[in-house]
Amino acid sequence: MINDSKIIGNLEKLLMTYGQDVETKNIGTVIKNSDGVIVASGLSNAMIGEKISFKDGNAGPVLNLDEENVSILPLGDTTNIREGDIVQSTGETFSIKVSEELLGRVINPLGDSLDNKAKIKKGKDMPLEKIAAGVVDREPVNFPLKTGIKAIDSMFPIGRGQRELIIGDRQTGKTAIAIDTIINQKFNKKPVICIYVAIGQKRSTIAQVVDRLNSEGAMSYSIVVSASASDSAAFQYLAPYAGAAIAEYFLEKGKDVLVVYDDLTKHAWAYRQISLVLRRPAGREAYPGDVFYLHSRLLERSVKLNKENGGGSITALPIIETQANDISAYIPTNVISITDGQIYLQMDLFNAGIKPAINVGQSVSRVGSAAQTPTIKSVSGKLKLELAQFNSLAAFAQFGSELDAATQKQLDRGKRLTEILKQPQYSPLTENLEALSIYAVTSGLMDDIPIDSFQRFEQDMHEFAKKKYPKVLEALSGGEKPTEQTLKQISKLVQEFKKRFE
Amino acid sequence: MDKKKIEKLIKISYKNIDKKKVEEIGSLLNKADLKKYIERLKSAESENNLIISSPIDNQYEKRFQKLFPNRKIVFIQDPSLILGVKIIDNDKIYDFTLKNSFEKIINYIEQNYD
Repeated sequence: MINDSKIIGNLEKLLMTYGQDVETKNIGTVIKNSDGVIVASGLSNAMIGEKISFKDGNAGPVLNLDEENVSILPLGDTTNIREGDIVQSTGETFSIKVSEELLGRVINPLGDSLDNKAKIKKGKDMPLEKIAAGVVDREPVNFPLKTGIKAIDSMFPIGRGQRELIIGDRQTGKTAIAIDTIINQKFNKKPVICIYVAIGQKRSTIAQVVDRLNSEGAMSYSIVVSASASDSAAFQYLAPYAGAAIAEYFLEKGKDVLVVYDDLTKHAWAYRQISLVLRRPAGREAYPGDVFYLHSRLLERSVKLNKENGGGSITALPIIETQANDISAYIPTNVISITDGQIYLQMDLFNAGIKPAINVGQSVSRVGSAAQTPTIKSVSGKLKLELAQFNSLAAFAQFGSELDAATQKQLDRGKRLTEILKQPQYSPLTENLEALSIYAVTSGLMDDIPIDSFQRFEQDMHEFAKKKYPKVLEALSGGEKPTEQTLKQISKLVQEFKKRFE
Repeated sequence: MDKKKIEKLIKISYKNIDKKKVEEIGSLLNKADLKKYIERLKSAESENNLIISSPIDNQYEKRFQKLFPNRKIVFIQDPSLILGVKIIDNDKIYDFTLKNSFEKIINYIEQNYD
């Protein structure tokens, strides 16, 4: 409902200022329209990245400033832009209107709704490009962002404000990890707002993600920014920056935000396409020289602010798709060097039924361990080492030579550890259940359980614990290091359940 | 023909030009140079001209001529501007018109109210 007096008041304010301000516009004339790039003369005051509007309502950023003309990359259809058309500078850069209204919505990088719901009009204008927070405003990562995936939370913990890369070939479960992490945020006491940025993906895939988030009840705290494969390269180029701009709005309010960039390989492709049509010099793999800066300035916007600045955080989960497990290609190495660790997913492991297919040797989290809760830290301390030993021993054991009892024991333990870290998709676990499962294996309580019934045993044990031992789970959910008494109770719980398990 | 020569030609063209000279220049230049010459001539023309649009007839032309002594004043009467004046100086537009203010108000309403 429109409030008449408010409208009149606002209009009166505008009329009061009439005549006081002179509007200065900077115009240009289109001299060329080729490959979706508009070259215009004039626009002598244009800035790089400035929004230029066309008479048909189309708009685009200035990407090249040459001696006598500028190159503009319109976001919409360019077929109706003709030589001689007048273009006008706006004096502003691209921004997105952000408010709490965006939660639960699917939008494009300019904030227009794509979900047939009400038009999004109100909100604070957040610039797509922004310099990241400085060193003085930040503090070290110190609070965990739980993914609900045992393998990650125990061995490669992610902290709020961290940038953890998810890397792997196609169809290895990269998006699955990101989606599980978003779903897991509903268990949080301190809420995390999730932003899923889909870059260059099929619209059907994006629809599946949105549908899954809806069915899991995760859309209420999530926003999906979509620039699909059928959208222009300019849209795909802007999409991750739009995600970061939305995240910064919530960051200013002191909230914790998780942003998933799915994926930055396609983002680099879009930028390569733009750079080539702009006739910028091509470098390695035809990417332009500033492709590193493209990703570093985006990921640098992930931050953990100190209390004086609100204490909010932006955690980034960028995704990179490799070709034939080659993590030493140009874009993967760039993003690996920018991020604070990587989760490397391998096709061989995936095909062997190890899901999530995390390669323990080549995955790492550089800052997350500082944010790991003492509960998980105490139960999973030896996990990574034991798994690494198992992997090297397993290679030798393939020769078929006879093994001594100690080696055989290590191999058995390794197999069990690998088995316990398997986890079905869309079923993230709470921290107490993760701790229970991992402790049950690392302490040897499950050494006599046959490996083929391991997963069933684990699931039933969780149900049993929830019914019969809620106090143990409560003790494990506080985040503190489990006491001797709690550990004894866990042993009792597992022993009791073993008797019932068939 | 390089950029300097084109600039020189433009300067000469502006001193004393007639139909004959234009035809002579046209016949001497090749297609690419002629294109460059025309482009630069257009740009020089817009740099030299100051376009003033107003809804009423040109009663302030002399005052504008005094303000911009080295520019050719082109006056356009445009009743749609309602009130005020609009000055187009090459690629800059200074808009003092009521029409522009109304457009700003309409834009404001469209962006803020359903």
